[in-house]
Amino acid sequence: MHKLKIVAADTYFRQIKSWSFVILVLAPFLFAALSLGLGYVSATSAVKHDKVAVVSQNQGLRQAILKQFDQAERQKQVTTVAQAKRAVKANRIKGYVVVTQRQQQLQAHYRGDQTLSTSQVAQVKQVLTQYQTRLNVQAAGLTAKQWQQLQQQPTLTQSVSQQTAQAKTGQKISFYVLVFMVYMIIITYSSITAQEIASEKGTKIMEVIFSSTTAAKYFCGKILGMLGVILTQIVIYLVGGGLCFLLAQRLDKLQPVFTQFKPLIHSVLHNLININLIFLLLGVVLYTILAAFSGALVAKAEDAPKAAYPATYLSMFAFFISFPFQDNAGALTAKILSYVPFFSSYFMPVRLIAHHATMMEAGLSLLILVATIFGLIWYISRIYQGLILQADEGSFWKRFKRGLAYH
Amino acid sequence: MLEVSQLSKSFGNLKALQDVNFTVKPGEIMGLIGQNGAGKSTTFHSILQFLHYDGQITWQHRPITEAVFDTIGYLPEERSLMPKLTVAQQILYLARLKNQATKTIRAEIGPWLDRFEVKGQPNSKIKALSKGNQQKVQLICTLIHQPKLIILDEPFSGLDPVNVALLETAILNARDQGAAIIFSSHDMGNVSALCDHLVMLNRGEMVLHGELQAIREQFGKTVITVTTDWSVERLQTLPTVTEVHALTPGRYRLIIADPAAGPTIFQALSQGRYIEEFSQQPPSLDQIFKLKAGANHA
Repeated sequence: MHKLKIVAADTYFRQIKSWSFVILVLAPFLFAALSLGLGYVSATSAVKHDKVAVVSQNQGLRQAILKQFDQAERQKQVTTVAQAKRAVKANRIKGYVVVTQRQQQLQAHYRGDQTLSTSQVAQVKQVLTQYQTRLNVQAAGLTAKQWQQLQQQPTLTQSVSQQTAQAKTGQKISFYVLVFMVYMIIITYSSITAQEIASEKGTKIMEVIFSSTTAAKYFCGKILGMLGVILTQIVIYLVGGGLCFLLAQRLDKLQPVFTQFKPLIHSVLHNLININLIFLLLGVVLYTILAAFSGALVAKAEDAPKAAYPATYLSMFAFFISFPFQDNAGALTAKILSYVPFFSSYFMPVRLIAHHATMMEAGLSLLILVATIFGLIWYISRIYQGLILQADEGSFWKRFKRGLAYH
Repeated sequence: MLEVSQLSKSFGNLKALQDVNFTVKPGEIMGLIGQNGAGKSTTFHSILQFLHYDGQITWQHRPITEAVFDTIGYLPEERSLMPKLTVAQQILYLARLKNQATKTIRAEIGPWLDRFEVKGQPNSKIKALSKGNQQKVQLICTLIHQPKLIILDEPFSGLDPVNVALLETAILNARDQGAAIIFSSHDMGNVSALCDHLVMLNRGEMVLHGELQAIREQFGKTVITVTTDWSVERLQTLPTVTEVHALTPGRYRLIIADPAAGPTIFQALSQGRYIEEFSQQPPSLDQIFKLKAGANHA
């Protein structure tokens, strides 16, 4: 037990102290900060070049259109086409709308170096329709009553339960957050573990280590060390995420967002911080073991970068096939795969989020997952010494067979 | 005491070891010699339980288990350490795996580095050390926990004469402290200088086993080294001479079929007068090694 702890601690501290781990852990926080910063910069810099001018003989119409735009979107000073052209060229406005009237019909044309946004098009159309209707009424010579009659519109109302809609959105967000989290963590740790093990392949230092402790203890120590690293990362994410969440709630600008989406945020958090977190953790452990195994199977230490392929490809496969089931978690395939190790970490949480699985079913799936993990650890521990000490060239299967037969 | 009895090991159809038997007592040094592929490393790997084998290997009359590992110091044939660690981290990690207290080992690192004249500090990175100094650090890792059973696979390979002398001293010190030592070497000079007894393996079989002088005596005094003005052709006419090797101008090694012919040859060469050199000895270990290895090739 003492030696297992030494190996686990050595693996753990070596990884934790590495730059790659620090970058890995800080990356999401840096990424979030960076995107917020970039968003702010682009928002402030976009003001200058996002304005639209309106040119028309009809001053009332011109003002009405300009009024529809936000302060930051309109350029009131430009009144002629020539001024507008110069302004576009000088990059002071993104374009201009010219409105003319030909035989009782309003014609508007937009020219610019960027398109009008959908809302801007709608705003322009709304004003034009109002003015065109007025022209039509005048031309048709309608009375006030007839005009009112023509204004009658049918109604269509919707009654949507706010909670159900938000729960659906919550499920969708939870699904994406969860599968991406599982995928990213698995890919990262498969690669780290496979390289860690593969770099020791066939080296004589392993003979020295195996003359001090058993291969089984060494292998379990390595896996435990990696598990510690994964747990550390998850804890940092939970604590860091929690702190960011609390901090964001205190920001004045974000307060309305939190008030509006409170139930949604709570539903997402509830979907993530529950049994699904255990599926995530155990899934990562299982893939880590697979990665360690494939790391031990490389031809030589120099092939370490290739070692993670089996685990990463399998994870990628499970990740992509989980997508079609995000809206169809009750499908038989999803049901079956939610019990199959290597897939269950994606599929059972998906089913749980969509309320398509009971806790009993989740428990059974967890049991299978745990049994597989222990079974694999037991089996690989037995053959690990042979796999690590033999360093023959040859095909994968040849190496595998020799590894098994080494003892 | 290390006892190896009826040790056999096959890899598929290849018989790597066949009925190998020897013992190494505390305070003894045993040399394991043989050509490449003779089975030396397989013998070591069997002792270290890296392999499943037929036969029995015991230490102090008990099977070698993880508990025994703590008293073993093993130096593999090729050198390899963890390049990213510092010297102290590397020594401590391996010593802790031998159940040594960090505090004790940490205090000993400095004196050991001095003893082996390592050009580097405890906080130097392994990868920053020269190859020779890395080898010395690996030797320190093998010996610092004062093992009772020391297994050294080709410990002298790649060492310069100064470092060979340092290592020989370390091995002799360990022996004086009561360690049982087994080492392999291609250099018969090292084997002759250090070993109390030796085992020679040839294609997995033990072809020689015993005390160094006794083994040499088995072959009889069949080698004569002589300084003379005789020509090679004339030397070949001497009784029972089978081979004549010119060593330096005027100095020859004669191989004779019958050791009893020695006095006759001496008489013929000296003619009753003074001669500078005439020595009749059993073959050297090097010659025996070549003889046995040559027989294998024949």
